[in-house]
Amino acid sequence: MAIDGLIVLDNTGRPIIQSGFRSTSTAYPLLHVDAFNSALSKASRPQDIDPVIYVPAYNNVESPSACCHVSCGDIRFLCPVSGDDPLFAFAFLRTFIDILYEYFGNVSATTMKENFDVVYQLLEETLDSGGHPLTTSPNALRDIVLPPSLLTKLLSVAGANINSTINSGSGLGAAGGPFSSPIPWRKAGLRYASNEIYFDMVEELKAIVNKHGVTVSSSVWGKIETNSKLSGTPDCLLTFTNARVLTDCAFHPCVRLQRWTRDKALSFVPPDGRFVLAEYRYSPNPSTTPASGSASATSTAIANLAKDNVPIPFSIKMAIDLEASGGSFDITLTSRLSTRPLENLVAEFNLGEGSGAIKCVASRGLGGFGSRLGMESGVPGNIGASWAFDSNKKVLRWEITSIPPSSVWNLHGSFSTSTSVPRPAHALQVRFEIQSHTFSALKVEQLKVTGETYKPYKGVRGRSIGNVEWRW
Amino acid sequence: MAQAGQDAKFFQRGKIEEFRAELQAAETKDKKYVKRKIALKKIVANITMGNDMSPLFTDVVQCLGTPLLEIKKMVYLFLVSYGRSKPDQIHLVIPNFLQDCNDRNPLIRALAIRTMSYIPIPVVTEALSENLRHCLKDRDAYVRKTAAICVAKLYTADPRRAEKGGFVEMLRDLMLDSNATVIANAVAALSEIGDRQDGVIFKLNLTTANKLLAALGESSEWGQIYILDSLLRYVPEQHSDAQTMAERIIVQLQHANSAVVLTTIKVLLYLMNYMEDRRLIDYCCKKMGPPLVTLLSSGPEVQYVALRNILLIIQRRPAVLKNDVKVFFCKYNDPIYVKLAKLEIMYRLARAENAPEVLAELQEYASEVDLDFVRKAVRSIGRLAIKVEAAADSCIQALLNLIETKVSYVVQEAVIVIKDIFRRYPGKYEGIIPTLCENLDLLDEPESKAAMVWILGQFANRIDNADELLDDLLYTFLDESVEVQLALLTASVKLFIYKSKSDTAKDLVHKVLKWATEEVDNPDLRDRGFMYWRMLAINPAVAGEIVLAEKPAITTDSDRMDRGALDQLLLHTGTLGSIYHKNPETFIRNATGKALIDSPALNTHSRAALVPLTRAQLPPTAISIPGPGPSEPRPDTVEPTSLVPLDADPEHESTDADAEAETIDDAGSDDEEPTVRRRPHDSSDPYSNLDSAFGNYMADEPRPMTAGNHRGRHNDEDDLLF
Repeated sequence: MAIDGLIVLDNTGRPIIQSGFRSTSTAYPLLHVDAFNSALSKASRPQDIDPVIYVPAYNNVESPSACCHVSCGDIRFLCPVSGDDPLFAFAFLRTFIDILYEYFGNVSATTMKENFDVVYQLLEETLDSGGHPLTTSPNALRDIVLPPSLLTKLLSVAGANINSTINSGSGLGAAGGPFSSPIPWRKAGLRYASNEIYFDMVEELKAIVNKHGVTVSSSVWGKIETNSKLSGTPDCLLTFTNARVLTDCAFHPCVRLQRWTRDKALSFVPPDGRFVLAEYRYSPNPSTTPASGSASATSTAIANLAKDNVPIPFSIKMAIDLEASGGSFDITLTSRLSTRPLENLVAEFNLGEGSGAIKCVASRGLGGFGSRLGMESGVPGNIGASWAFDSNKKVLRWEITSIPPSSVWNLHGSFSTSTSVPRPAHALQVRFEIQSHTFSALKVEQLKVTGETYKPYKGVRGRSIGNVEWRW
Repeated sequence: MAQAGQDAKFFQRGKIEEFRAELQAAETKDKKYVKRKIALKKIVANITMGNDMSPLFTDVVQCLGTPLLEIKKMVYLFLVSYGRSKPDQIHLVIPNFLQDCNDRNPLIRALAIRTMSYIPIPVVTEALSENLRHCLKDRDAYVRKTAAICVAKLYTADPRRAEKGGFVEMLRDLMLDSNATVIANAVAALSEIGDRQDGVIFKLNLTTANKLLAALGESSEWGQIYILDSLLRYVPEQHSDAQTMAERIIVQLQHANSAVVLTTIKVLLYLMNYMEDRRLIDYCCKKMGPPLVTLLSSGPEVQYVALRNILLIIQRRPAVLKNDVKVFFCKYNDPIYVKLAKLEIMYRLARAENAPEVLAELQEYASEVDLDFVRKAVRSIGRLAIKVEAAADSCIQALLNLIETKVSYVVQEAVIVIKDIFRRYPGKYEGIIPTLCENLDLLDEPESKAAMVWILGQFANRIDNADELLDDLLYTFLDESVEVQLALLTASVKLFIYKSKSDTAKDLVHKVLKWATEEVDNPDLRDRGFMYWRMLAINPAVAGEIVLAEKPAITTDSDRMDRGALDQLLLHTGTLGSIYHKNPETFIRNATGKALIDSPALNTHSRAALVPLTRAQLPPTAISIPGPGPSEPRPDTVEPTSLVPLDADPEHESTDADAEAETIDDAGSDDEEPTVRRRPHDSSDPYSNLDSAFGNYMADEPRPMTAGNHRGRHNDEDDLLF
């Protein structure tokens, strides 16, 4: 249960930061950088490299190992493991990247270089040389590793209470020093002028629709993103009016799991700042989930297939004609929503190797509210839809910023290929957003804060994003 | 902002002399130590860039007196990088270490012992072991938890000293500490020591296990992982113990950290071996499915690890996820490794009820662009036909449609699987043979060619122009790969037996036998040629009976892993072993094997499949130091009986015994599991089995196999379904 270290590579494959590797020979990290770079050069697409690369030993004394890696922005994080725990490595990498975001706002080769001393201190505190993660809770880390000064300023302006101790150099001050908090994820002695807590419920629909327009599989993954700015040690109790729509939940360590199991309420002392309180899956028909039914599950499985699906908020009709060295297509998208607009819709269509010479017309068809149509067509040359072709990836992108309810949109055009048989992707990838809407219609009933005397300001928002594969 | 922007300039190659001068200049008029800080930053940046800064050792060490934590940290970083290479100078720092070990600030105390533990030089180790004793009892939890890990480091550097100094006992006592993080780190250190082949054996009894469980709720996520993982070192003596423990940890399945979730699943799977209550076992299975599905919403890397593990888990506990095949449908944009892993799971989860959906998906994939994925998709259609009888008709139709596309690699894959379908459903689908024969020219790979040749030979009596077709294929006999040559040889013999009256058949077989025995160097081919020749010469009728003997129908029951091997692999859930589907000790030299341990509570099904672990039983005090040269052979006398003859390779046996060039390859991989495991990993060459370990990673895709190689596997099925 340990990882050997961590290496950060820039986009040319050169290491910019690496942890100690004290228990291994100096050649060991180089071996992994090499193994990764050679795997990268062999892969047809950079995202297709095996996430766990087997690295043979370079001599008889060392043992073979594996290199786990993830990419993040323009850099790659490598995590060699010679024990046997890739998932542990990935979980750690994820946490470490989150910490970097927390400290620097964004993660890139430039920020890594600009703040390398902080990154090193973070590495020292989060991972010991034996590969055991140490302190990974951002709240506790901030006590021992000073965030870059800009962020410190911003935080103090924003009202966050940074212990004076970390600036004093000795590391020990009035508030009792690091790790004085009895709750590992929350700092002690927080004070805010105005106490606020916000919940963002973000749900993502992932679905596959087959060529007959029938949903083959769909699932909704939700997250409750929380931003807490509360003084003292508040004890929160969040209840929902329809908690049964939440299935397969995973919670932040602060949530009392027994309490959730007992009465489906989230009871927790929140960490300070931003964190993900809970992740869940929404299934429209919870009675058919395996958790409740037993023998009936098999027999009713087929009948439930249709019911299990979350309705897709739009429909697409695709007509594609392929001929020698080219083809033409006509795609029509209709919103199925009746009140809200679909926003920032992006449909991507991979036209395959050797495609080019794209000619397209993106237009808005009939349908939707007449008045809106009039308004929009009044702006010449801007109907809110556009298309572009990425000649590197061979992907045609169709973007529509806002799709009013029930409106119809069309993209038609042609392309040619250098190969005689055009091989476009058999599916359109559609991403979209819907504001102030959740697929699950999850509703917060109440948030009770006990243990403190103030009345915090509370806010709840919902937002949906979608990621649909529409086959033709 | 200005400060942040400036730091990038530290990444400039600097000269040792310049840094030295800068440090010396900083000794005077250094307000707030700013100059020293800047100089040290430059030095640290140069260390990262791989420039050797070790000549600055004495100069940098001077800065240790600075009362600024930030500077201290950088100096310690320097020491950690170069301390090991300066054994003659390290004594200069010892007084500083000792001073810091007694600092008022717990951060500095911890930093000092941590840094010391990174420098495995006797002087430092000695100083460390004196101070470590106090730090393990420090009033500050941060120091105690750091000290716990340092014990493991000390153990690595000097096991004797650590054992004599009573540090292992002190760690054991720390497991009862009031602070959860300290407990978790003590467990982590003990596990690390226990995983060493020369280390003390770390086992848990019920009382300690319960104490650890109590600390679970307050631990950090990493602490939880250590504690959960250590539960595998507890062997339940009663069913009820295992059951209570499972009930206590099941709630951890809802943790946000994927490693916590998978470790919990690992422990549950382990405890289930010691449970009796069927209803609780079913309940655990049901509870495990959803968190596994949740892992699939993570990044592709975690998905990949999750998928490889799911593949193992559903083989052992088919109840898990049995209604969830849809979540494994592939998306066009999934990385290829995720797609391939999903494909295997889809095949495993396919049943009569969901076969139409699965088939529709597979057909979709067969039209994609990625070659490897398309091939696997086509192959899976064939395997689905073999596995689910109700879906066989539609699968065959799907394959025929694919053959019509005339895309070479699609046709080749289709032919390969159709051969197996013929064997699975004798007399049912032979009507499609003419379609296959039309596409003979598209086959240019050995495997598909061999498959087609097999079909030609086997059904030569139904194919009117079989002799012509074979004759065409024989033109290139001498240039073909051995696989195809063997198939051609057998097919010609079959043709001759079917059509012994025909002169062409006689000519053909004569020609081939002559080639095989005279012109070819491959001993397998030659031997088989001689064997056929003599059989045909002595008694053609008997030869016919042998060559065309009724073949056992193939099933897919057997393309599951051996049950005992599965149980062992599942102890490695979430680890490399679970990704490569091999026990780690077979490919990682220092890994310790894990095995289920017998106890009164072990349930009968698990005991029946129990595979004992052959941990190399070294004398407890022996410490192996790998020397230069060839790796030292350990005495084979340790486990004389456990050495399975290496040549027990089914491939060779069967090619001779069974006169078919049949797909036995995968039978090998299945049987090989126990073989590889029983082979002590410290046999003369520790890497001797590496090739197969990783080669099999690609080869162990489920493939239909001959039932003949899997006698008695049917009993397993009942077990697996409970």
